[in-house]
Amino acid sequence: MGMQLIETIEVGAGGASSIEFTGIDGTGQDLVCLVSPRVSATGYSIRARFNSDSGANYAYRNLYGTGSSAASQGYATQSGILFGIVSGGTNTANTFASVQLTIPNYSGSSSKTISADSVSENNANQAYQQISAGSWTGTAAITTLTISVEGTATFSQYSTASLYKVTAD
Amino acid sequence: MATPTYTLIDSVTLGSSASSVTFSSIEQTFGDLILVSNHSTTGIAELSVRVNGDTSSNYYWVSMGGNGSTTVSQSSGGATNAMRPMERALTNTGIKGVFILQFFDYSATNKHKSVLSRSDTATYGTGATANRWGSTAAISSILLYPNMNLFESGSTFHLYGIAKEL
Repeated sequence: MGMQLIETIEVGAGGASSIEFTGIDGTGQDLVCLVSPRVSATGYSIRARFNSDSGANYAYRNLYGTGSSAASQGYATQSGILFGIVSGGTNTANTFASVQLTIPNYSGSSSKTISADSVSENNANQAYQQISAGSWTGTAAITTLTISVEGTATFSQYSTASLYKVTAD
Repeated sequence: MATPTYTLIDSVTLGSSASSVTFSSIEQTFGDLILVSNHSTTGIAELSVRVNGDTSSNYYWVSMGGNGSTTVSQSSGGATNAMRPMERALTNTGIKGVFILQFFDYSATNKHKSVLSRSDTATYGTGATANRWGSTAAISSILLYPNMNLFESGSTFHLYGIAKEL
């Protein structure tokens, strides 16, 4: 019983537009993905999609703090779940964000829900902490998880993502 | 490679609507507990969490939440019956939430129990709460119930134990 590492992906030289886990088996109870991302521009969020579905089948709400204020946003019929504002661009060099994404019952046959926590790093007054709720209307078991960056930004080298499944046996 | 540090103690999947779910006789061999609930309700509801059947005024919390447009922070200085720490994250018919509660040092008998919780429903909002159960008793049972309506069929509840030593 335990929390079993499925795969760790590290972005290589030149960066990457996305990080993708494929062939996820359905033998776990929950999925947990820990991401250490830095992206090519400042103030961008990372996005989760399941089973390569880019349709308007996602919704999310978040609460974030900037170091001086707090705000909340919510969106329906989106093409993915934005689940964390991460480090990048003009943020302090060599700093990476810390993000945890939890997907309970990922192999079930009902729509999927997620919970995410994230913090960006920046040696300045402004950095972001965010908590997020999200849903996907898909009822198929999740076999592919794709994490990308909103807009045209990309993941920087040395960004990593590790996907774990929590197993009952 | 799996490690023996994250153990499924019990899992409940509801085959029909239910007014509550109880994890009882929780073994005392772990360091911490993590409870993951993925449930919907037969009407709008907040999740309530009662420990050891305690209905007295022993539940304290500070919470923050956002519903997609506004933010809120609240506190309780000793509520009765249960924790209701699920700031902004309501459930409803067919609308599931993700609720993750971490019970720290739950088997200790010399301290009040701290519980960190996260609550998320994409339809209603997201929240985080620091809770304290004002008792030194070891936690041996956890009761979850919606403050109104019922848990819907298909809702799942997983209780994990985190090993205190390898």
